[in-house]
Amino acid sequence: MFVLSSWFRPSAALLCVLPALAQTPDGDLAERLYRSGERAYSAKAYKEALDTWSQLLQADPKSEFAPMALLRLARHQVEIEHNPDGAMPILDRLRSEYIKSPEAPEGLLLRGVLLAKQARRPTELKDAMAEFNRILDLFPDAAACGEAHFQLGLAWRDQGQWGRALQQFVDAFRLHSGSAVVPQAMLEAAETLDLMGDLPGCLQMLQRLRAEAPQSPQAQEAAWRMAVRVKHRLQKPPLKSEGAWPVGRTKWLKTPTLLSLAPDGDLLIFQNDLDRTFRLHEEVLTPVGPPASGTRALTSVPGSVWMLTKTGLMRAEAIAPQPLGTLAAISGAVLDRWGNLWVADAKTPALTVFAPNWASRTIASPTANALAPLPTGGVAIAADADRKLLFLDTEGQPRTIIPYGKDLPAPFRYVTALAADGAGHLAALVDGGDFGEGVVIYGPDGTVLRQATFKALGITGRITSLALDHSGGVILCDRRNDLLLRLN
Amino acid sequence: MRLRLLLAIPVFCVALWGQDSALKETFLQAKTLWATQGDREGATTRFDSVVASLTSQQATLEPEWIQVLCESYNWLAVLDDRSAQNRPRAQVRLQALMELNPDFELDRALTSQRLLALYDRMKGEKFALVKLAYLPEGGRLLVDGKPTSLLPRRFLPFGLHKLSYSRPGYAGSEVTLELGPRDVKAADFKLTRTASTITLYVQPRDTEVLLDGQSIGFAIGQAGENAASLALPLGLRPEDLSAPFVIPELLPGKHRLELRCACFRTKILELGEDLATPATDHTLEPIRLEPSRGSVSISSAWSGGELFLSGQSRGLLPLADLPVCSGTYDLLVVFPAGGFSRRITVEDGKSLAIEAKPKPRLVFLGLEGGEFTGRSRFLSQLEALGERLPTLAFQAARAGETPGDALVRLKASREAELFLMAKPVQDKVIHRVELVLSTLEGEEERILVKPLEQDPLGALAVRINHLPLIQRPGLGATLLDVPGQPGPWVLAASEACFKAGLQPGRPIIKAQGKVVGTVLELQELLGTAKGPISVDQGGGIMNLPVQMEGLEIPLGASDLCYPALLAHLRLLQAGTKGEEATLIKLNVALALMQFRKYDKAIELLRDARLSIGRGVSQGTLDFHTGRCFIHLGASYQSEAVQAFRQALKYPQATLQGPDGPLVAPMARQALEDLK
Repeated sequence: MFVLSSWFRPSAALLCVLPALAQTPDGDLAERLYRSGERAYSAKAYKEALDTWSQLLQADPKSEFAPMALLRLARHQVEIEHNPDGAMPILDRLRSEYIKSPEAPEGLLLRGVLLAKQARRPTELKDAMAEFNRILDLFPDAAACGEAHFQLGLAWRDQGQWGRALQQFVDAFRLHSGSAVVPQAMLEAAETLDLMGDLPGCLQMLQRLRAEAPQSPQAQEAAWRMAVRVKHRLQKPPLKSEGAWPVGRTKWLKTPTLLSLAPDGDLLIFQNDLDRTFRLHEEVLTPVGPPASGTRALTSVPGSVWMLTKTGLMRAEAIAPQPLGTLAAISGAVLDRWGNLWVADAKTPALTVFAPNWASRTIASPTANALAPLPTGGVAIAADADRKLLFLDTEGQPRTIIPYGKDLPAPFRYVTALAADGAGHLAALVDGGDFGEGVVIYGPDGTVLRQATFKALGITGRITSLALDHSGGVILCDRRNDLLLRLN
Repeated sequence: MRLRLLLAIPVFCVALWGQDSALKETFLQAKTLWATQGDREGATTRFDSVVASLTSQQATLEPEWIQVLCESYNWLAVLDDRSAQNRPRAQVRLQALMELNPDFELDRALTSQRLLALYDRMKGEKFALVKLAYLPEGGRLLVDGKPTSLLPRRFLPFGLHKLSYSRPGYAGSEVTLELGPRDVKAADFKLTRTASTITLYVQPRDTEVLLDGQSIGFAIGQAGENAASLALPLGLRPEDLSAPFVIPELLPGKHRLELRCACFRTKILELGEDLATPATDHTLEPIRLEPSRGSVSISSAWSGGELFLSGQSRGLLPLADLPVCSGTYDLLVVFPAGGFSRRITVEDGKSLAIEAKPKPRLVFLGLEGGEFTGRSRFLSQLEALGERLPTLAFQAARAGETPGDALVRLKASREAELFLMAKPVQDKVIHRVELVLSTLEGEEERILVKPLEQDPLGALAVRINHLPLIQRPGLGATLLDVPGQPGPWVLAASEACFKAGLQPGRPIIKAQGKVVGTVLELQELLGTAKGPISVDQGGGIMNLPVQMEGLEIPLGASDLCYPALLAHLRLLQAGTKGEEATLIKLNVALALMQFRKYDKAIELLRDARLSIGRGVSQGTLDFHTGRCFIHLGASYQSEAVQAFRQALKYPQATLQGPDGPLVAPMARQALEDLK
């Protein structure tokens, strides 16, 4: 017996229905096709829905439902298929043939967002920004305007234009206070104010965000960002050791050597004896990523942990390690906004940057013994040979240079590790010199905010890595005693 | 037009009175002409004219005139009977008389035996005699449901008749009679006492009478001469009292009698049990109510308001100690723009002071044509929208006026600040209605609603009623909710707060003696504070000055209705002065920016001056001026540059509110972009 495949069935059913539908007036047909597609889509019968909407576009391309169908098709490509390239031609058609439709601003916005995501360097944001500006110019009343301002703000920020970015973020929440983008825009405005050196403005903005959208995820983000800024930069209490962390947990790890903070604030711990990285969430350890023996650097993006070993980059979604060229003494790694992986090597007098397509380039730099990201989009490196900390911009140019020991009672000689918290603070695990082993916390401008030697803190273990947590504390990784310590 | 009508009423009354006296004169002349001069022709002519005049209004004649008409028929029958030529007409006269009032007795001194016999025979062919007896007298007789006078004899047409007799305090009695030719029947009414009655005479008239809290009617009319014995001992004339008001059935037990009249003090009488038992009729001494007055003072910061109390104009505001009868009134103040209304109760001897603040007037112009399911329900919801809009004075357009005509008329007369029009969206089947809400100046918002929804106007009503604050009390300090801190953490303090002892870098633990955990809790306390607020940071109590801080209205907010907000702000602006007026002006300009009327916004902003330099201040005004100039295009670039430079002179100026983003970096960037 001949049986229709499940793939073919919806199309066949649609063909059977069409003659009946075709007898209705065109306007009715278009609406019915659109609604039918909606029904199928909400039942997750995507193939049926896409076929129905495509049929609509064929049967009545001048209908008011045609641009609605196009927008739904484009969204499906982005949200379900994760195929932005598939969405672009659909959005191009929406833009060229239906620019007067109510769906046009949303289509332009989606197109702009996709273009911005595809950009690999600041100059490639031009097309995306043109789309966002087009929304503001052509559709000043559209609901998409708030989001367009916000996206423009992000684009300016990614180009290092803080003033213009701030202007757009402020316009996003000031001129479109009913928009869903308001909490996000306020958060970005606060961070931009901090980048511009306006700490009170940043804190006030975070406070407003918490007052106006207390239930939003951005308000939770604002709470810790405010807390760490107040603590590190304004209160600056002397660092004190709280001992083992989590409280009472000793000898619970197997030679922890590396720490890093995931984007959601969870701590990532590489345990050398287990050759694996673990996520610590509410005191529960969960392995993440593949085994990666001899991991030298850890970094992460939402949903994925990247481990850099002698054999290459290990990550869950890659079958085999990706080679890192001649880099053999990896001392740090950072993923930037464009998807580039910055790698520091203790034996190479340059930084190596791997593009998403794994093409690599080098950026002239002193040999970096440690590397950490900066909120400016650049990185901080520690150059023991020069005894300097350097804050580099997105092009790798030094913007701030801090001699080892500046503002400290005595200089140190080495930086073992660097850690950033995403709120402009940089913690350095230092050693040597008259200062000795200890921790120094720097502000965004390189000012020493808090510092302490391990001797003064009574810490005797072998500390190999550190992380700044979201409560204004410093987590230290003690490989000798197989535990974590917390400074507060 | 109304005045002309009022003038016409007394003229008409005078004419009627004149007509009545002339008719009576004619009637008397007719009698005299025959009785003293024997002028039969002359008498007949005059009686005919009386008959002609009265028969035309026979249905509404008073008993006195019915009597005149009956007598005229009697006379005419007699006069016609004396002339051989006119004799047949005599019977016609008697026929008319009988139909008018069969109980009328012919004048035996005047009428011949022959005519009397003829009249009796004619009556006997259609009417039967009923003899009536009433015990007690003074009740009310209904014949076939119609009230009639208490006569001992009645001629009733043949057939079935229902006679009922009643009197307050007695059980009613009913008799049914079947009348035929030559019947003479009797109806004896003997009523049985059931309850006491109370008869009241009240001064003033038109007083509401309540028994045990229930209204039982009004003491109306005017007492007759028979009340003289009651009125005179009190120094009153009978006509000063109301007509007797009878409480028909006073049940056994105690009762509470309450008399209410506007402008008089309510009087309460306790009626003892002895009045109800034994059952009998009681007449109380006339009851006099004491005058009751209060006073009303109405003022307003807005000029030109006219006061109306329950529809009556009482003059232009301000009005101080206006004497007013105690009672409840619908107070309305009509301003040149906007209106203020409230229901007030004026109490005896008390003064009521009201500050009238105009509300925008919203006129619902109507629902345009186009039939759709649920139209009448939707229309009634639109018409009742005013009940849900306490922030506006809601009015409906004139009946029969089209929405377009009403809009033209109201815009010309400037009788409203807001207009609402509903237009069905002309789809194949109408499922949507477009509501257009616009200001007098033309700023409008269009909203699509679905008339079959449970409450299609609910969201709009909520938005119209939502009026954002444009000022709030503050300390002049920047406070943060820092996690881990026991109270609002002081980031920065104004000079005044600093001098008062407020220390940045420390939390506020208590305010007004209460523990405050968050900035919001402190804000709530500030909202209720009158004067300085006591604050404790753990090192002793200090008193900090509370000042009003300017706020900007949110733009692009989905929960605001901008035409309504703009109308409110414009009215508010008209009634304020100084810095507050400038702050309102700034917000009017912002609302105009929402409608992209940048030129109008500049007009407001460019002359506005705020003396403060922190928060929403002069720098804010200058920054918005610059932004408006940018929107006007390249030709205004130099003005924009100038405005942004001005804004930079106020480094503490902010947008949105005291805790909003600083103006300076934005202005600096704008200048950079304009290079």
